[in-house]
Amino acid sequence: MKVLLIGGGGREHAIANALRRSPKEPRICCLSDLLNPGINRVVKESGGEYFLGNINDPATVLGAANKAGVDFVFVGPEEPNFHGVPDRLEEAGIRAIGANRKVAELEMSKASMRDLQWKYKMPGRLWYKKFKTFEEAAPYIEEFAESVALKPARQAGGKGVKVIEDFQVYLQDDKRKVKKEHAESIVKDYMKDYDDIDYKLLIEERVWGPEYTVQCFTDGRTVTPMPAVQDNKHAFDGDLGLETGGMGSISCGMNLKWVIDSDEAIISDYEYKKSAEIVKMMIDAIQKETGARYHGIAAGQMMLTSVWGPTVIEMYSRLGDPEAGNVLSVLKSDLVEICEAIIDERLNAIKIDFDERAIVVKAVCPEGYPDKRDIARGHPVRVNGPEEGILWASADETSNGIVTGGSRVVECVGEGATLPEASARAEEMVSRVELTDGWRLFHRSDIGSSKSISRRIQLANMARDIYQYRERKGLLGKRMIWVPGKGLTEVG
Amino acid sequence: MAGILGVYLFDNRWNAFNFGVFGLMALQHRGQETAGLELFGDARQKVSGNGLVEQVISSKNAFGHVALGAVSPYPAEDAEIQPLAVNDRASVCIDGKITSVEGYQWDSAITYEGNLRKAYSAVSGNGGSIQSIKEFFRRCRGGFSYIAVNDRKEMVAGRGTLGVKPLVLGKMGFDGGIVASESCVMDIIGERVPISPAENLEPGEARVFTPLSAHAEVEGTGGPRAYCAFEYVYLARPDSYINDVPVYRVRREIGKRLAEEGNIDADVVIGVPETAIPFAMAYSNETGIPVEKGFELTGRRVRSAMKPNQLERLKGVQLKLNVISEAVRGKRVVLIDDSVVRGNTLANIVYLMKEKGAKEIHVRIGSPAIVSHCPFGVEVPEEDELIGKHLPEEKIAEVIGADTFRYLSIDGLIEAIGLNGGGLCLGCFNSKYPEV
Repeated sequence: MKVLLIGGGGREHAIANALRRSPKEPRICCLSDLLNPGINRVVKESGGEYFLGNINDPATVLGAANKAGVDFVFVGPEEPNFHGVPDRLEEAGIRAIGANRKVAELEMSKASMRDLQWKYKMPGRLWYKKFKTFEEAAPYIEEFAESVALKPARQAGGKGVKVIEDFQVYLQDDKRKVKKEHAESIVKDYMKDYDDIDYKLLIEERVWGPEYTVQCFTDGRTVTPMPAVQDNKHAFDGDLGLETGGMGSISCGMNLKWVIDSDEAIISDYEYKKSAEIVKMMIDAIQKETGARYHGIAAGQMMLTSVWGPTVIEMYSRLGDPEAGNVLSVLKSDLVEICEAIIDERLNAIKIDFDERAIVVKAVCPEGYPDKRDIARGHPVRVNGPEEGILWASADETSNGIVTGGSRVVECVGEGATLPEASARAEEMVSRVELTDGWRLFHRSDIGSSKSISRRIQLANMARDIYQYRERKGLLGKRMIWVPGKGLTEVG
Repeated sequence: MAGILGVYLFDNRWNAFNFGVFGLMALQHRGQETAGLELFGDARQKVSGNGLVEQVISSKNAFGHVALGAVSPYPAEDAEIQPLAVNDRASVCIDGKITSVEGYQWDSAITYEGNLRKAYSAVSGNGGSIQSIKEFFRRCRGGFSYIAVNDRKEMVAGRGTLGVKPLVLGKMGFDGGIVASESCVMDIIGERVPISPAENLEPGEARVFTPLSAHAEVEGTGGPRAYCAFEYVYLARPDSYINDVPVYRVRREIGKRLAEEGNIDADVVIGVPETAIPFAMAYSNETGIPVEKGFELTGRRVRSAMKPNQLERLKGVQLKLNVISEAVRGKRVVLIDDSVVRGNTLANIVYLMKEKGAKEIHVRIGSPAIVSHCPFGVEVPEEDELIGKHLPEEKIAEVIGADTFRYLSIDGLIEAIGLNGGGLCLGCFNSKYPEV
């Protein structure tokens, strides 16, 4: 048994570890642009092979797969999906875990994802408007946009999203100015390298509430959800500062409990189930629209909002990073067996088990991340002591040792009976990561702390009170606008 | 005493000016004599003057994505108005008072601000780095909170180790952070979060913001605390949280305790605007005596007790407090105020109320007698001016023309604040100040 893993980040290191645990003892090969020291070790220990190359180029991936002679390919990140890597592999008769180009549209085009939600009247759909040019969007921002999220219409590596709460009318001029400037920069800067989508800019209503990710295995017929995970997007402690790819994530049980088996959780069982149902609706809809089969992972990046309860913020066509570190750490079943079941479309026939432990993942980043990666890159990095529980992420094993790649350099996975206990374990690992040239590292010390969890539970309770009221009144997802002189408009 | 504010927006497309203006307006109750706002962008621009934020700053403009500002209750020369330039690289805003600086001999011949500049230069070698600013404040003793910004657009904000003065942190989405004396600022200019809007900084804690990072430094926290009790009685806005305790809750508790400690048969309860209104409402709730609006305001709302001279204070009181005769005529009135300093303005109020026909006036004060001058910059005059230090309750009643007069007990205040008694500075009421 031989597997080729595509991608070289923390998520892929987590996948490599999970594959390595399989009783089928697969040989693990990897293709990525940097030589990930953690994956490299797994590759060597399992008797596989490491290829360096462009993971977004289908020919390169196919070349590596053929050279290694693998049983199947596991695609880690989203960009290879958008570039049709799984499609090309399937054409060549190589089975792949990875959303093909057509179904990956769910993630690649945030505009199409919303179109689909509205077309099928799915719950958890946000109000939105899409634009092809900045000139189209400008008058709209001037006249209507209040509290909004401005997004590149295409998934752009998680970059370029700006959420602006524009409620205080005395600050409106300042906020409109920044909204317009940012919208322009989405169209002209963030989207400039992508010509695979017509729309450039998406403006969505701004919502609040605790966020969580529900990742699912799917063979196109069966959708098996994994434990819900909560990522932390702000760069700095206390949910402050710039948006990142994710600074760390927590999970415990299926629905973000505080302590194993406790009733105290960020989301309820009902909300968790409803979120998984929404992901299934998405998969069904995209398959119906495109006629293609979904083999791999689909995830809903959700928020518990006052408007809808479980609400889709974005869709992923792969595991989240760092969320992969949470779910794969508690996966009791054999990942290789799951992959084979997906490929053979018999996911319904196997049982997938997760244990209940609390997992806290903390990303460690060189200063400069996320916006000034050039100064975050190239610093020599060392982990003192045992590396158990540490996932190597944006790191490159060179002849002169391991250096930072500019993004999150390692992810520390702590486990325990409670989230604060798991957080303390992760902190201990974080303290052993060091840049030997003295450049500063940072991480979020608050992730998984009691204070942070209780704030999130409080926030969830507030959102829940309002959405349940709306549910009772039959107003879930409805928005009513009274325009004096014009009358009542209902949206939703 | 002052209200201090720092707005740190990471994206330089933002202009922090209006955030500074409205943030300072939300702190206006902490000082109405001077206002100053400095913007850090391509250049440093300071707008300041004697007057309210609206008069001094609103009509101007300045540009930068980092803003530092303050309001204060002391009239001052322009160069001494906060933000105070400690040298040509850094500006600071301080709430409270620094009483000494380790390694610096205080020079009584020059001003407080002059001393701060000299001390800063002595300690930091006139540098402007965040490390040297932090080191300076680490060596400062007293009761204070501070925010400082340097010419590299780095900001540091912190509380003295005793925690006498408050400081909170709020945020603005992915775009930045806000540090301010009180959490009400976050409601006005920050992100609306439906749970408590701001994070309380621990005594001794510092928060550092640079273009690349934002982090907490907690070295030096965990020592004895001395949270200013007067914040809860008078200084802070009722919509703020001070040390994570909602001020409004404390004011309600004070009213309840006044009813328990000094209950008296009466027809109507009236609070002296604005601070004492929640006291009166809770007193009424507790006793069942109806609460009435007793006064109407003429002109702009001012905090009369913080005016720098007696004439201004009386002017403030008389304009603020025209008695509504229908509310008091022929009635036995429980009149509630937050505190008594010299007693003159209270005497004036009682006089005006009797003149409008009140039958009896029973004054209840939502704090214990003020007997001591505050070394940490709260506007308490010299001790020979303090009526509560020199006269007993019965005598004060006679002097101000009331039928009875009662303070809240010190224990009553401690219970109302509810921080388990420990960690409060009650010096203005019991002359015991924390060791600095």
